[in-house]
Amino acid sequence: MSVHVSTLQARISGESTASSPLSTEEYFVNMGPQHPSTHGVLRLVLRLDGETVREVVPVLGYIHRGIEKMGEHGNYRQFVHLVDRMDYLSALANNWAVTMVVEKAAKMETTERIQAIRTLVCELQRIQSHLLWWGVFGMDLGGFTPFFYGLREREQICDIFEKTIGARLTMNYIQPGGVMFDIHPEFVKDVKAFISYLKPKLVEYDALVTDNVIIQERIRGIGKLSAERAIALGATGPVLRASGVAHDLRKSEPYGVYSQLDFDVPVGKDGDCWDRYWVRMEEMRQSVRMIEQLIDNIPEGKTFMVKPAAKIKVPAGVHYSHLETARGILGVLLVSDGKEAPYRIHCRTPNFNNLWCIGEMATGGRMGDLVAMLSSIDIVVPDIDR
Amino acid sequence: MGVITDKLPGVLEPVPGGSVLLTAVDQLINWSRSNSLWPLTFGTSCCAIEVMMATGAARHDLARFGAEVARPSPRQADLLVIAGTIVKRMAPRLRTLYEQMAEPRYVMATGSCAICGGPFMYHSYTTVRGADEIIPVDVYVPGCPPRPEAFFYGLLTLQKMIKEGESIRHPGERRRPVLAALPEGMTLDDIRKEMQDLLSHDANVNMAAAVAEGARYSSELKDF
Ligand code: SF4
Repeated sequence: MSVHVSTLQARISGESTASSPLSTEEYFVNMGPQHPSTHGVLRLVLRLDGETVREVVPVLGYIHRGIEKMGEHGNYRQFVHLVDRMDYLSALANNWAVTMVVEKAAKMETTERIQAIRTLVCELQRIQSHLLWWGVFGMDLGGFTPFFYGLREREQICDIFEKTIGARLTMNYIQPGGVMFDIHPEFVKDVKAFISYLKPKLVEYDALVTDNVIIQERIRGIGKLSAERAIALGATGPVLRASGVAHDLRKSEPYGVYSQLDFDVPVGKDGDCWDRYWVRMEEMRQSVRMIEQLIDNIPEGKTFMVKPAAKIKVPAGVHYSHLETARGILGVLLVSDGKEAPYRIHCRTPNFNNLWCIGEMATGGRMGDLVAMLSSIDIVVPDIDR
Repeated sequence: MGVITDKLPGVLEPVPGGSVLLTAVDQLINWSRSNSLWPLTFGTSCCAIEVMMATGAARHDLARFGAEVARPSPRQADLLVIAGTIVKRMAPRLRTLYEQMAEPRYVMATGSCAICGGPFMYHSYTTVRGADEIIPVDVYVPGCPPRPEAFFYGLLTLQKMIKEGESIRHPGERRRPVLAALPEGMTLDDIRKEMQDLLSHDANVNMAAAVAEGARYSSELKDF
């Protein structure tokens, strides 16, 4: 009985429960690939000692579609629509990453208007992606309400995208040389209406979930990831920033029109689930700030610089460029032999590295907290397997 | 009572002190099955967001069609919605999931990936070109991804199918053969040869040329 009480106290005071004096025979549990909380078809093999997790090994490949290999068979335009399907919650940022490396390598000109539109839609999608994460995070913790709230707001952004882009999920909008269509005449009005609608909602979210003492007790102090380990594992995005490293490509290597915008990079302290939660909530506010600064100042100009059917050729060599999606750094390495199709294309996807942090976070923790940790990383499995 | 009898196939016979509902057992069973489909939470990729999440959420509200009780266990579910790409590694698991579901079970293939491989139909060495290569499919919903409305149309089609479908005397009438039979005279060696041909012009790498290319690139990288 005394053992039980002491572990409970340790749990409340936020200490690690790893070394319970009772240890039992270790056993393996297979989680996934069909599991409601693995967000797709991720498979985790867990080595458990009672309720304590000793080791987590992700097993990949259940949605490996060979996107990189497929890229070698088509031209650059055709590759853009394939990356939509990688991290489908930030499809626009994926489009932009490929576009950026092609434009940089082929020295294509863009206008201020193109860059402003790209920045604007990417920030909208960041909000959209975080809203979905917020809903699913709530669902994984056992509450269904956040799911309905988050998806309700997400639908509004879907409507805005649908008017301009024509798609709700797989956008294929940002192309080498510009954006597919100019923004819809009602785009500015809609975005303003949405922003003024979202701001009170974010306060409501805080009242509902963030300030909820049950949530705080549940996610504070679990799944800790130190800054050194986060860097060593290659974590990026909110996972890295929650561990206290203020690394954001939008600040450190500004692309688009981020250098003209005024925004903060939210940083956590302990790198636990709570910090990751807080960083994402704060990022939504920062995105709102950026959109507010930008929405009235979209410069005039052309939105597509090359002819739609123009052949894009990239000079031979190795080209790389990266940007910050909603989940971290997406880098695209392009090896070109001067032809219309890439010789080799490789994506350094944020989710792959972020996923491996689960071993660091979960080891020594409780089995019951694993789902909360996994959800706080916010993984998209097709982005890991590609 | 009124609401239910409006939609339930049958006749209301007025008798002194109330009324009696006359219906056929088949009709009653089919009617209740079609209106209480429990889907399995199964989504492999992009389509899952639209088909499993957006439909279940506030605006589209799957509950209007009685199909909102998503079950994580195949043993409790009777509708398998294949939302997303199926790759060769996942295919045996999908088959297992299907076989774990209790009869009667229904399958919807949503999205072009589940229908034919979708954007990954050409040049991909892992995707299964359509879920119907592994399990029988009842309703196909095209789109990449299908809109939630499209999914609802598919669901309503399935409900119609169930209502007109099986009877106690002919159970399982709806089902189709699981695997298409191989053409006559086809041997295992023929299949192997075909695969070899396919690989040699698709995924195989000419090693000598690759080494030469690699050397060229590394020399270029030095100047880079
Ligand atoms: S059909 Fe399109 S949206 Fe659906 S899983 Fe396939 S690629 Fe993704």
